[in-house]
Amino acid sequence: MNIFNQTGRYFALLLRVFSKPEKHSLYVRQTFNEIENLGVNSVGIVAVISIFMGGIMTLQVAYNMTNPLLPNYIIGLGNRDTLILEFSSTILGLIMAGKIGSNITSEIGSMKVTEQIDSLEIMGVNSAGYLILPKIIAVVLMFPLLYILSVFFGIIGGMIVGPAVGAVSLTDYLNGIQYAFNPYYVTFSIIKCLVFGFLIASVSAFFGYTVEGGAFDVGTASTRAVVNTNILILVWDLILTQLLL
Amino acid sequence: MIEIKNIYKSFEQKEVLRNISKVFNEGETNLIIGRSGSGKTVLLKSIVGLHEIDSGQILYDNRDFTSMNQKLRKKLRQEIGMVFQGGALFDSMTVEENVRFPLDMFSSLSTVEKQKQVDFCLERVNILDANKLSPSEISGGMKKRVAIARAIVMNPKYLFCDEPNSGLDPETSLVIDELIHSITVDLQITTIINTHDMNSVMEIGDNILFISEGEMCWEGNRKEILFSDNQKLQEFVFANKQYQKIRDDKIEGK
Repeated sequence: MNIFNQTGRYFALLLRVFSKPEKHSLYVRQTFNEIENLGVNSVGIVAVISIFMGGIMTLQVAYNMTNPLLPNYIIGLGNRDTLILEFSSTILGLIMAGKIGSNITSEIGSMKVTEQIDSLEIMGVNSAGYLILPKIIAVVLMFPLLYILSVFFGIIGGMIVGPAVGAVSLTDYLNGIQYAFNPYYVTFSIIKCLVFGFLIASVSAFFGYTVEGGAFDVGTASTRAVVNTNILILVWDLILTQLLL
Repeated sequence: MIEIKNIYKSFEQKEVLRNISKVFNEGETNLIIGRSGSGKTVLLKSIVGLHEIDSGQILYDNRDFTSMNQKLRKKLRQEIGMVFQGGALFDSMTVEENVRFPLDMFSSLSTVEKQKQVDFCLERVNILDANKLSPSEISGGMKKRVAIARAIVMNPKYLFCDEPNSGLDPETSLVIDELIHSITVDLQITTIINTHDMNSVMEIGDNILFISEGEMCWEGNRKEILFSDNQKLQEFVFANKQYQKIRDDKIEGK
């Protein structure tokens, strides 16, 4: 029964989030702040993770390709398609649920337990809309951009590591990443990113907004937010893959 | 003027407030006093609508708050200022931004006019020189002052303070009490303060409601409180022996 109760409260909160803003200019300003805080500030970690992800994926494909009849450019192709289809969207989504999601839950949760949210309500501000809507817009807008960056850095990672350890030549790798490119894969993954971005921001905000108690409860809520967001990302990954591919 | 009539409030099976009625006048500092856990904060939060009451009526200048829809409540809340126990300042903003926030959100004043109003309020609470600091850089007493400045920046008709002296030293408490009292009198607003600080009661208690275990036990003013024969009130007031002595001295005409 608890899951139905939680789901009902989540959608009730979303109704408040998407109600008419009191002052558009303040919401826009807040959205730009969140784009910087949640999106731009994540570029570094996305770049690092993606370079390693691409490098490791290149090595894995190379070491598992024991059949001499398979051309070497498959290594670059395998890295590219894995990044485009799954790693730079889903794996990055899971990582971002940890970074951005816990940030959102702990920020809103702390505001809740220190009565800052009550303070907004007393002023006549729709606290759910003012605090959550800019975060949702920021993450939904930024996630596809982070995805594109991730693909780019992942391919660069493979390009550095593959030739460096002798797993694949630079020419074969470059041939592979250009071979049989299907643009729909990118479209499909960008759709996934929009959904994942919405899930990360809204589910994490829900757990923060509904927290009660003190600092310990904010920590617990952050953990629950990350776990639930991760599960939802995987479920939606399955659904979207079945529907769109 | 705020009038509450027959307020009942419970959380799940536990009844926290029972049949509380009271008129809070404008231009007076109205105090709700009682022990910790007596239901003071629940009553205050019920009056401002942060808790929904089970039954009863809350009237803001004869406007029935309990029957208002969310839209009307939001509008009424722009006439309310509230000082929370911990200050509830926004961490991500400076002192000045905190005070300006309600103006940014609801007023149509120009930037210069807003700045003038913010400076006026910060000066009123004597903290203008801390305007660029963030809440984490100021003391507890300063936070309370900033919270008061933010609460009065929209020129509210109603001011609510939840234990404004908690965690403050006696001298700062006195300053905060005097500040709230002078704002109430100068602006002729209806102020309701939650407190269990007897010094505040004796300093600024124009109109006092004493509640115990969720029930209204006594009402009066600071001149009457020492001489009440209400058993529960006596236990509360004379827990501090100083007030027992003051009463005895007054009775003996010293």
